[in-house]
Amino acid sequence: MDTGPALRAVGEMRPGDHLFHGYATEEEREAVLAAFLVDGLASGHRGLLLAPAQTPPGPLEGLRERLRRQGHDVADALADGRLRVRRPSADPQDLGELVCREAEGTAADGLLGLRVALEASQRGDGAPGGPGDAEKLLGPAFQVLPVIGLCQYDRLAFDARELAALDAPHHGRVVADDIWQDELLRITRTFAPPGLALRGEVDDSNLTAVARALRAETRRAAGRAENPHRARVDLRELTFADVCALRLFVFTGLSLHALGGGMVLDGVAPQVRRVLHAAGWDRVPGLSWGEEREEA
Amino acid sequence: MTRLGFVHQALSYATDDGFVAGTADFVRDGLAADDAVLAVVAGHNIALLRDALGSAARDVEFFDAVDWYHYPSRTLGRYHAYCTARDEGGARRVRVIGEPVWTGRTAAETREWIRYESVVNAAFAHSGHWIICPYDTRVLPADVLDTVGRTHPEMASGAAAPDVRGPYADPADFYAERSELDRVSPAPLAASGAPRTVAFTRGDSVAARLAVAEYARRCGMAEDRARDMVAAVHEAVVNAVRFGGGRGVLRVFNDSDWVVCEVADAGGGTAPAVRDTGFLGRVPPDPHAPKGHGLWVVRQLCDLVTEDFGAGGAVLRLHFRR
Repeated sequence: MDTGPALRAVGEMRPGDHLFHGYATEEEREAVLAAFLVDGLASGHRGLLLAPAQTPPGPLEGLRERLRRQGHDVADALADGRLRVRRPSADPQDLGELVCREAEGTAADGLLGLRVALEASQRGDGAPGGPGDAEKLLGPAFQVLPVIGLCQYDRLAFDARELAALDAPHHGRVVADDIWQDELLRITRTFAPPGLALRGEVDDSNLTAVARALRAETRRAAGRAENPHRARVDLRELTFADVCALRLFVFTGLSLHALGGGMVLDGVAPQVRRVLHAAGWDRVPGLSWGEEREEA
Repeated sequence: MTRLGFVHQALSYATDDGFVAGTADFVRDGLAADDAVLAVVAGHNIALLRDALGSAARDVEFFDAVDWYHYPSRTLGRYHAYCTARDEGGARRVRVIGEPVWTGRTAAETREWIRYESVVNAAFAHSGHWIICPYDTRVLPADVLDTVGRTHPEMASGAAAPDVRGPYADPADFYAERSELDRVSPAPLAASGAPRTVAFTRGDSVAARLAVAEYARRCGMAEDRARDMVAAVHEAVVNAVRFGGGRGVLRVFNDSDWVVCEVADAGGGTAPAVRDTGFLGRVPPDPHAPKGHGLWVVRQLCDLVTEDFGAGGAVLRLHFRR
C-alpha cells in the first residue's frame, strides 16, 4: 500500500475516481473546480455541483461567475442542464441516493457520464466525513454510467489528523493541472503563496512555455486585489536555466516594476545565481530573491 | 590633477622609485577628490606604495595582483563589478592602479591578456574612471612591452623609464590585428585520449549538456565548475545554432592542465561585427540590453576562451583549468 495519499492532476481524473482536494485559497478551489467541470463538458458529461451554502447571487449564477473568473463561459451548459447545482443532504445514505438518481437522469438525458463536485468549506456543515466510503457513494451510480467524484475541503480549517480522516474514504488527492510538462521541465501554478513553480531545466527547447507562463502570471498578478503586480516564482527544483530564460525573468520583473510591483525568485540554485550575477541581473530593479536554497 | 571622462594610461618603470613616483600622487589626487582608489599591484609594490602614502594608505583598497589577475574576462568582470558597486551610478570616479601578472602565462593566455588591455578601453569608454597600468620594464618580455603603446591611449606622467609609446590602436582595429596573429599560431593542445564528440542541432542542446556533465565528472572536476562548464557550453551551442546555420559539433578533450570544450559550427551566418558583439563577449553588457549576455556569461564562467571566426564557420574553445 502507498504510505502517502496519491496526487493526481485534476485533468488526469478517470471515471470511477473519487478524489479529495484540500485547497488553501479560494482561487485554488475555483481553479480545480473549473477544470473538473469544464473537462466534463468537453467529455460529454453532466457536471453536478453539490453546494451546501446557497449564497447570493444564487447557485447557478454563482457557479457561472466562478467559472467566468477562471476564463470559461458556461451560460449554455447552465441553461440546458449539462451543469447543475443541488443542495446535498447531510445524511450519507441520502447523498448516495441523490447521486444515484442524478446518474439515472443523466443517462436518460443521453449524456456520457456524470461528474459530481461536493463542496464543503467549513467544519460542521454536515459534509466533511459525510460521504463515507467512496465505493458506497459512487458505486451504485457507477453501475448506471461513468461517474467521477471530487470532494473539496478547506485544508486550513482542519488539522493533519482530521485531514487524514477526510482523506481515508477517497481514492487519492487532486491537485491543479500542470501548466506545462515536457521531458525537461514542469511548470505548475502555486496558490499559497500565489505564483509559479518550475521544476527541471529551461533551455531553448521550452523557452516559449516559460514565456507563456510568465505572461499569464503577470495577468494573474494584475487582477489580484492584494499585492497586485507582484509575482513569485518557486525555483527550488529548477536545476538549469540558460541566459535567454533568465532574460525573460529580468524583463518580466522590469515590467512588473514599472507597474509598481516586481517578481520574487525563491530558492534559486547556486549555478543559476552565478549566471544571474555574471550577467549583472542581480542588480536589476523588479527582481528580488526570496528564500535562498541550501546546496545539497 | 582632475580630468573628466575615462583615462587609461600605461606607466613604465624600471626602479622602485619610478613606480612610486608614477603612482603616489595619482592616489593622493584621487583621495583629495573623494574618488574611490583601488591598487592591484605586485606584492612588493603594495609595500612601496603604502610606505610612500603613510596614513593615507588607509583609504586605499589594496590587492595583490596574483589574487586578482586570474583570467582575463573574469578579471574585467571583477573590475566592472567593483566599479559599479562604488561609482554611485556614475557620479563618483574610481581610480585604479592595475598591474597584470605576466609571468607564468602560456602563449595563449599572454595573447588574451594583451587583448584584455585593449578591450578595457571599450569596456570603460563611457565611465569616468581612471586606470594606470604599471609595466616593470626590468622583467617583462618584449612581446608584452611592444604592445603597451598599442593598448593604452597615453602614458602616465612621471614615467622616467624607457618610453614604450607606440601608435595607439582603436580596440576594434587592434582586435582584428590580433585575430590574424592568433590564427597563425593557434593554441596548441595535445588531447589525451579520444575527444568526446557530439553533433548538435536546433532544439537538442540538452544532448550537449549531458555529454559535458558526464565528461566533467570523469575528469574529476569540482561540482560547481562542472556546472559552470555545462552552462558555458550550452550558451556556446545555442549561439552556434542561432548564428552558425542551425547545427554544429561539440568536442571535449583534455590535457594535464585544461579541459577544453570546442564548439564549432559550419558557418552560414554572417561574421559578427566585433564592436556590435561587445568584442565577442569581452565587454560587459548593459543588464537592460536585449542581447549580448550569452558570450559575456560564457567568458565569465570559463577560465579562458579562444575563438576563430572565419568564413567557414566559428570555432569557440572554452578552457577550464583542471
